[in-house]
Amino acid sequence: MKNETHLYNRFGFGVSVSNEKIKSANDFINSSRQDQPLQVVAAPSITKEEIKTMTSQEKRMVSQKSRKQISNLNVSWLEQMTNTETALREKMTFFWHDHFACRTQQAFLGQQQNNSIRKYALGSFRDLLLAVSKDAAMLQFLNNKQNRKNSPNENFAREVMELFTLGRGNFTEEDIKNAARAFTGWNFNPISGEFVFRDWTHDTGVKTFRGKNGNFSGEDILDIILEDRAAAGFIVNKMWSYFVSQETVDKKITDQLTNDFYKSDYNIGKLVDQMITASWFYEDRFHGNRIKSPIELLVSIQLHTGGKFDDEASPLFIQNALNQVLFYPPNVGGWPQGNEWIDSSSLTFRMALPGVLLQHERTEILAKDDGDVNNLINRPRKSKINFSVNWSPLVNRFLKSNQEESLNEIEHFLLAIPTSKGNRELINRFASFGKTDEELIQRAFTGYMSLPEYQLN
Amino acid sequence: MSTRRAFLKQSALATSGTLLIPGFLKGFDGPELIAGNTKLVVIQLSGGNDGLNTIIPYRNDVYYQLRPKLAIPSGNILKASDELGFHPALAKLNDLYDKGYLGVINNVGYPNPDRSHFRSMDIWHTAANSDQYLQTGWLGRYLDAQCSDCNTAHQALEIDDVLGLVLKGAQQKGMAMRDPKKLHDTLKGNLYRALSKPAADHADERSVSYLYKTLAETVSSADYIYDKTTISKSSITYPKTEFAHRLKTVAQLINSGIDTRVYYASLSGFDTHANQNNRHERLLTTYSEAVHAFVSDLEAENSFSDVMIMTFSEFGRRVKQNASEGTDHGTANNLFIMGKTLKQKGFINETPDLTKLDEGDLIHTVDFRSVYATLLEQWLGTDSSIVLGQKFAKLGFV
Repeated sequence: MKNETHLYNRFGFGVSVSNEKIKSANDFINSSRQDQPLQVVAAPSITKEEIKTMTSQEKRMVSQKSRKQISNLNVSWLEQMTNTETALREKMTFFWHDHFACRTQQAFLGQQQNNSIRKYALGSFRDLLLAVSKDAAMLQFLNNKQNRKNSPNENFAREVMELFTLGRGNFTEEDIKNAARAFTGWNFNPISGEFVFRDWTHDTGVKTFRGKNGNFSGEDILDIILEDRAAAGFIVNKMWSYFVSQETVDKKITDQLTNDFYKSDYNIGKLVDQMITASWFYEDRFHGNRIKSPIELLVSIQLHTGGKFDDEASPLFIQNALNQVLFYPPNVGGWPQGNEWIDSSSLTFRMALPGVLLQHERTEILAKDDGDVNNLINRPRKSKINFSVNWSPLVNRFLKSNQEESLNEIEHFLLAIPTSKGNRELINRFASFGKTDEELIQRAFTGYMSLPEYQLN
Repeated sequence: MSTRRAFLKQSALATSGTLLIPGFLKGFDGPELIAGNTKLVVIQLSGGNDGLNTIIPYRNDVYYQLRPKLAIPSGNILKASDELGFHPALAKLNDLYDKGYLGVINNVGYPNPDRSHFRSMDIWHTAANSDQYLQTGWLGRYLDAQCSDCNTAHQALEIDDVLGLVLKGAQQKGMAMRDPKKLHDTLKGNLYRALSKPAADHADERSVSYLYKTLAETVSSADYIYDKTTISKSSITYPKTEFAHRLKTVAQLINSGIDTRVYYASLSGFDTHANQNNRHERLLTTYSEAVHAFVSDLEAENSFSDVMIMTFSEFGRRVKQNASEGTDHGTANNLFIMGKTLKQKGFINETPDLTKLDEGDLIHTVDFRSVYATLLEQWLGTDSSIVLGQKFAKLGFV
């Protein structure tokens, strides 16, 4: 049970209170073979000509609508993350969403990118990389529209190597210059989001890239990058740090994983399979030693209680207050990790959150306003969070013949590592004030979820 | 060194490396403070303040040509030099200028400017090159450099509910707090109190001890600030805006002698793409009246000479107005320094050159990290190249 919980915590978002039976590692992978795309935003029906004749007022309305759609997209995905049948696919999509961090003002393009990431999340990293590199939102985000023959823009070429595949120190400035030339002409239809190759802006000259000469295309550049084992090592190390341990690297294991990942021609599914069926993955030292990101915290609370948000503003507000908003990574480098999430105020808010969600306490916190007038998430003030939980299944499951036993069950269910005796006594006292069975369970949940230990998975 | 702390240190040494001290007892190892008494207050104008309609080149024809609807009529401008004047909403700032407390540095920016809010603010917070991504902020790294063993969270305070990247270092982080009493009340709850006491059964060096250590520091800093803050006796009246309230809180903390070296406060709303003039006027009024009250409050308590104030925005705005009577995102911008004894004051460097633009934007002549380097070395007394990762030319205002 402990091992399965660890698997669900790391490669999913936690165990759901409605999970009848915990899956084995194999079933866990198998049930995520299916891929459920996000279908929230319809393709825009507008034409280029119509855009040209629009007034600035009309243009503003269009972008306002798009931002509203990004909020819908955000909340729909958050909800889909609570689907434990496809937990692995959701978690891997989330991982790659962070790895290929990107922002867009156009909801449809954001959805399109998320769906291609989701499609290849457990497939071949080669396919995934190519899909993201030809993705409209990414090309726009990294200025490849401006990358033309005779006036190259190196942003895209740089990040492909530095952040997506090789990592700092594994390429030269010359590599960037030449790769940028190969990516000239990679463009997209701004409405449909389809990839478009504009051959008249493409530089057909000979490029020197990583010791090779030729009239390389963008596809050639990606292939040459993946010939380097360093790319496999880069992905394996990132996955190790994300799914296994941020502070301890077991080089013997990561070397082996890198070798196998490279040999499998970058098969992500195989790599994940190898990780979750290995005994080292379940070693005690890795349990409960990783700080949940805000999204992971939010989804785990929903899974553990079965609770749901009753409006869109509430989960958006919490994401904003905790500094992790889906589809809004801080920059192309992605979100922070581990201890970086925790400071005095974020910890205080995280610990107060269960009270706000489960006991309907009000919050006076003001989320930050980034000053961008176009950012719909900038709605800083919200004191009432709408979250509802149906407590009766939780009472049925956790109410035992005596209170201590109930609390013990709840602790095992909620915490990845045990808490101290002192904390248990504290929660016991807090729960005792509950006048009914339901209040007792509700208070116990609130208590355990408010502990620092609940921040860990 | 307190006796208990000395004992813990000795016993740790005596056992030569074996860790006998549970992880977060270190949290009670007593604060080691950064030496010195100077304080830096940073004010962030979020959204990209239109610097050209703030400090106005009122004799420049190009300014009037490119902004037929937005230019402030010359007659309304509070003229300060032969070339530059203040927006009419900035009478109070003009007063600080007249007193010799204000220094304006024009054309501040960085190479390869980014016109996106979040990325440009990220660059200002982390002091990164525009093609570099850092996970720590420059003031957080200042804490790391000066105070890597410190066990207090309040060495740097952001007057806000959420801590910005700018105050996050690799080892040390500042603290966000909107109001000493509110924070104290929040943490008064039994849960926080009880949990912030050390319990020996948490393993060292694991994430869980980091959490408990952070909690312990938060509670002890909140107590310290609350206990030490005295209600201001000063007769200064602040405007009734949230921003003024935040600066009032800073003044109260400084005047109470709290040992915080860095304060950070923000005013948002400067993203004036449409119908700029009324909105900008309101924002500038809010800013200048609050800052004026703040400086007067510090002066009344004789603490202004310990304080340096820097005001910046993530970028300026395009020189030419847009079709919606607003301005779009630009690049270089002016930045304000305020202090009692500035070595350079008034308009410190050259006026923006509106005839030499890069795709319609001002070209920077001063790297913002030169301003940071000056503040770090000359005011906070730390090696700026450690904090900024490279050496930047220092300016002469401190």
